[in-house]
Amino acid sequence: MTSLLRRRHRAEPTDAPVISMVDVGMTYPNGKVALADVNVSIPPGDFVFLVGPSGAGKSTFIRLLIREQLPTHGQVRVAGRDLLRMRRGQVPGLRRRIGIVFQDFRLLPNKTVAENVAFALDVTGAPGATIRRRVPQLLSLVGLQDHAHHLPTQLSGGEQQRTAIARALVHDPAILIADEPTGNLDPVTSWEIIQLLIQINQLGTTVLMATHNQEIVNAMRRRVLALEGGHLMRDEAAAAYEREY
Amino acid sequence: MPFVRFVGFSVVRAWQGFWRNAMMSLAATATVILMLVLLASLFIVISGLNAGLEFIESKVAVTARLEDNLTEQRVERLIDEVEAMAGVATVDYVSPEEAMDRLEASYREIGRVLDLGDADSPITLFASLEISLTDPDASADVSAALSENGAVERVLTKQAEYDTLLGIINVIRTVGIVGVGLVGLTVLFMIINTIRIAVYSRANEIEIMRLVGASDSFIRWPFILEGILCGLIGAVVTIFLVAAVWDPIQPAMVQVFQMPTAVSTRFLTTLSLLLLAVGLGVGAIGSWISVRSYLVTVR
Repeated sequence: MTSLLRRRHRAEPTDAPVISMVDVGMTYPNGKVALADVNVSIPPGDFVFLVGPSGAGKSTFIRLLIREQLPTHGQVRVAGRDLLRMRRGQVPGLRRRIGIVFQDFRLLPNKTVAENVAFALDVTGAPGATIRRRVPQLLSLVGLQDHAHHLPTQLSGGEQQRTAIARALVHDPAILIADEPTGNLDPVTSWEIIQLLIQINQLGTTVLMATHNQEIVNAMRRRVLALEGGHLMRDEAAAAYEREY
Repeated sequence: MPFVRFVGFSVVRAWQGFWRNAMMSLAATATVILMLVLLASLFIVISGLNAGLEFIESKVAVTARLEDNLTEQRVERLIDEVEAMAGVATVDYVSPEEAMDRLEASYREIGRVLDLGDADSPITLFASLEISLTDPDASADVSAALSENGAVERVLTKQAEYDTLLGIINVIRTVGIVGVGLVGLTVLFMIINTIRIAVYSRANEIEIMRLVGASDSFIRWPFILEGILCGLIGAVVTIFLVAAVWDPIQPAMVQVFQMPTAVSTRFLTTLSLLLLAVGLGVGAIGSWISVRSYLVTVR
């Protein structure tokens, strides 16, 4: 299975953080402070929970990492690249180093499972042979090899999220960002998704998971970044999380 | 190979996009056809009138009708004088007999017989000099000089017809260009709207493309090609329409405008290339504006 996720980021120094934020602040034009002086360093291979109430700044945190937005001040480095100095034409290259999955799966309803995964390769100019080889590998990794020709509407929520994860992994990303991946799933399915993320993390991919799920965070005892009102209130290894809302 | 894959991807996606949003795409294509039919009509009429203008220029520019009973020496001296004038290319003497032959021939052409009246007092025509000019602007000077010559009974020129035709051409050209421009703007907005709707209807797809690292080219070009496809289909349909009505138009152009170029395939080729270029251009510009403004705001 290790061969399924070839590590392009192995060439980078192993001690260099795969995500680094230094004095990062983000203030919207209406004056709302989304993030204030955030300092975070995540080494390769880490599994990190990003927690906090709604409006705490989790979404802004993720948008900065995938360069959907630029910070008002501070420095953001992802997979060895300084996002502020990055030209527009280099952004697609960055996003191929980052896989991302969402609570609402964001699958294309008129494409099958295999086509949804292949789409991510097709739109980045991957050769047909690569697509034909890679898609079954990824579906096998997420346990959907028997559902390749099903449409998303014929799948359960968990299976749809697995499809989204397979799609996020098509470019062997250094980082997998999961934004509330279990938000629409029942507890049993949520744990299946967490198991899959752990498996992917064990293969070397850094996983950053934004979540509200206290039970999962407490059971996993991994590093927790707790945001509140745009401030990083807590950054603890093997930590717990107590929802206060 | 990557470029070939990119082109293949863009063309396939543009084709799918065109038919996915078929009503809007076909409406935009219909407006392209309307614009190109207007443009083709304008091109044909302007070309015809220009050819007519050239025809008038190429014909005798000044005709000097001569007095009766001039001696041969007097006529030859007059020819020498006219040939020496600035702007004169050739001078041809037309005898009364030759003038009569031409008149009879022109009657025969329209299927009528020239009635020469009473045979005891036959009708005779004036002898004349037919003068062609190297420069149509010399017409006024040559006419003035001939008017003052005692051997000349009357001077006839084509200047009035020339000026009238030139005026008509300018009016038609101006009205036509404004009309085609206005329709062109409508077409442009139509294509911008069509592509914008296509872009918004595929916003989820574009979002996913961006997140998985598709480059701007992979996102933009399918939409741009979709606009170009509207222009291309519009141009091809218009070319077929022009080709279909070409047979009845062609003899009319030759007769009405005295336009020999109308019979050549080069004229139709030029017209087809113009329609193709304008169709593709409007499609490309419209979709480029639409996609560019959308992607700049979402990146």
